[in-house]
Amino acid sequence: MTRNQKIKLYLFLFLLTAAAFFAILFPRLTLPFGFAYIIFLMSKPLTLWLTTGTRKQRLGYFFLVLLGTGFLFFPVIATMYSADFSSLTDQFPHAQRALQEKFFAFKVMVFERSGFRLNVDPVGLVMGKIETHGTDLLSSFPNYLSLLLEWVVLVPIFLYFFFMESRQFSRRLLEAIPNPIFEKSYVLFSQFNTKFGEYIIAKFIEATILGTIVTIGLLSIGFPYPFLLGFIAGVTNILPYLGPVLGILPALAVAFLAKDPSVSMVGMLAVFALANLIDMILVFPLLVSKIVNLHPIVVIVSIIVGSQLAGVVGMIVVIPFVAFFKLLFKEIYKDLSVQL
Amino acid sequence: MSYEKDMLERIERGEQVNDRLDIPLLRYLWDASPLSFITSRESYHDFFKRITVLSSFSDNEIRLFTKFLHHRDFQTNEVIFKQGDSGYGFYFIFSGAVNVYANQAGSSGEIGEFVIKLEKCQYFGEMGLLEEFNRRSATAIAAENTILLGIFKPDLDRMLEQYPVLGAKFLRETALIMANRMGQLTREIVALKKRVRELDLKA
Repeated sequence: MTRNQKIKLYLFLFLLTAAAFFAILFPRLTLPFGFAYIIFLMSKPLTLWLTTGTRKQRLGYFFLVLLGTGFLFFPVIATMYSADFSSLTDQFPHAQRALQEKFFAFKVMVFERSGFRLNVDPVGLVMGKIETHGTDLLSSFPNYLSLLLEWVVLVPIFLYFFFMESRQFSRRLLEAIPNPIFEKSYVLFSQFNTKFGEYIIAKFIEATILGTIVTIGLLSIGFPYPFLLGFIAGVTNILPYLGPVLGILPALAVAFLAKDPSVSMVGMLAVFALANLIDMILVFPLLVSKIVNLHPIVVIVSIIVGSQLAGVVGMIVVIPFVAFFKLLFKEIYKDLSVQL
Repeated sequence: MSYEKDMLERIERGEQVNDRLDIPLLRYLWDASPLSFITSRESYHDFFKRITVLSSFSDNEIRLFTKFLHHRDFQTNEVIFKQGDSGYGFYFIFSGAVNVYANQAGSSGEIGEFVIKLEKCQYFGEMGLLEEFNRRSATAIAAENTILLGIFKPDLDRMLEQYPVLGAKFLRETALIMANRMGQLTREIVALKKRVRELDLKA
């Protein structure tokens, strides 16, 4: 490698590192940028359909930006304001009372059988903490609202940029890649984009199918809050392995606290078991497993690492990143084995 | 598929066509015009018109094809790829020249013996575009300051998705290049076998 080439390569690596630092330092820009990028990748099949064969590309892109923004905010807002949610928040004091009654009965039973008097009040402690967190959440609500408004403005702008300028931008970026690493970087970057987009679409479809099955199932057995619980089950299902466990917890709590005898714990468990069975046997093997192809242990460890690094977002996006690094290491290993 | 025919078909199908000036298209047509002697630099269009394997491409198809190409500059003696590297792309020599070297052992660090010098309008690396796990069978080094136009696997996938007819046509031409190379190899093997037989008889 000549001196000029070396300088080019180091400069490029330096710029790449600087960009990574910038991304870490300014999460308020990076997160909406990343979110817009995810929506852009997800809408690629639709983009192709909308913009091929017609010259009205701008209109197509504008429509996609609207669709993407609506898709981003509508489910959250709709669920927040749904009757289920307001009904559940109204039920909080009743739930607290019901839990205290159940714990009191348990204390009496322990005293009668063993003569031991339980002097702890875990229910009061937990409920107190929930109330404190709730108050904290309410007091910081203006901050969340301003953040949401920021996202409402930034995400469509970034999306429009991706739709209109991404090709020219990526072309300029590719031109800056030094020759010795160009071919490999370009192909790996393209593969990552494809894998990431496919994974997000697959997980979204999987979550929608599971959420729908749970909602229909709970509706048919007359279980309370079917839409909210179905939505939670769908969203949590985005997390592999841990998702199904997290998704059933709210439904378990509702069934445990319900006084109405028509609320069936067994029926609810059967609905969740059926939904997860369909997911495991049909949806996951057909949609997701071919895209990631990672060992279950690797997936679980990745989720834990992802959650430590970037919270819930980290838990969701870590899998395609790990799949990409697997691909990268395989390529490096192949090259090394040829050189040795 | 000419540009005019493409537009007419769209109008017949009832699709909306662009009612505004398409500046990049006008610029391309201006560069591609045989009368545009004012432009000193050679356009991609003129260049691909001179490449025989792409002779079946219409003007409009060449215009679309150039959208998928990557312009890469190489300095004299700069390595384009090494023997044994993973190969993902196919290169056309837009200007300059490329020396090809092959090492028979295949594993040593040396570049090997000189095989051929490829000049302007020639192409190399087509196996990288077609094979799933391609290893470069030779080392390519820029003999002088060289401009290459490269097309890579992701570009071919995108082309097949967006312009399936163009993608299929390009694949057919690439297969023809491979078939020509195979024919050349077969002729060389036959000639070498003949030579070995003659040497055997002499011995």
